[in-house]
Amino acid sequence: MGVGATHIDHIVISSNDSAATASLFARNLGFEIRRKMSRPGTGAHLEFAKLGEVVLEFGGPPQPVPGAEVKANLWGFVLAVPDMQHAVGSLRAAGYETSDPRPAVQPGAVISAVKGGTHGVPFALIQYNALPVKE
Amino acid sequence: MKLKKIDHVGIVVKSLAEGVATFEKNFGFQPDPSKGGEVPALGIRNAFVPVGESDLEFIEPLGAEGPVGRFAAERGEGIFMLSLAVDDIEAAVSHLRGLGARVGDPNNGIAFVSMKSTHGVNLQLVQRS
Repeated sequence: MGVGATHIDHIVISSNDSAATASLFARNLGFEIRRKMSRPGTGAHLEFAKLGEVVLEFGGPPQPVPGAEVKANLWGFVLAVPDMQHAVGSLRAAGYETSDPRPAVQPGAVISAVKGGTHGVPFALIQYNALPVKE
Repeated sequence: MKLKKIDHVGIVVKSLAEGVATFEKNFGFQPDPSKGGEVPALGIRNAFVPVGESDLEFIEPLGAEGPVGRFAAERGEGIFMLSLAVDDIEAAVSHLRGLGARVGDPNNGIAFVSMKSTHGVNLQLVQRS
């Protein structure tokens, strides 16, 4: 049965200077950064690009440490599901701990983190069009 | 250089059978039997699980040697690599080298970008036929 994931929605690249890493990747690999924002609450600096159906998310602290060597790593990924309640229920029935679905930074979307049992892979589930979008 | 899509995400696991089984049983993913197997030259065995237009590649090291073996020894299991599909591997390598990036020579349609040129992210370029 499973979670019914349709695709990898986004892959998160964590960096101590997410703007610099996003810029390096965009310049060298020839894609466009489509969105930049600060995460509400934490102020984390996020930049987004899209390759095919997958979003690359570059995330890091609000401000990089001046002069620090830029270091990045593949942090985890997020799978798109059509029915969050079903997906979370399925995983919890299988013994997984998942966070309660909460609004994502993507308008109208909800997200739930899967905690453990994933062979060292941090990942989460996202469902779009789950919440009304404020105009 | 034209990127086509995320080809796959490489995930190092201690046991290929257990890793694939976890994701098959609990997450509902079905391995692609047409891909994967043992790759002695890389010191790995692998399996591919399609998720939309990309794959998850589960990789088990055959020993402690090589990048995958060293990753497993140092970090255990986890995300190892991001593979990007390009339309022309030779052109992609030439493009990146022209920008000053360190990239290995293409072999069987695959080239690895030095982590020194990616802020530490393990990137692979692949040209599918």
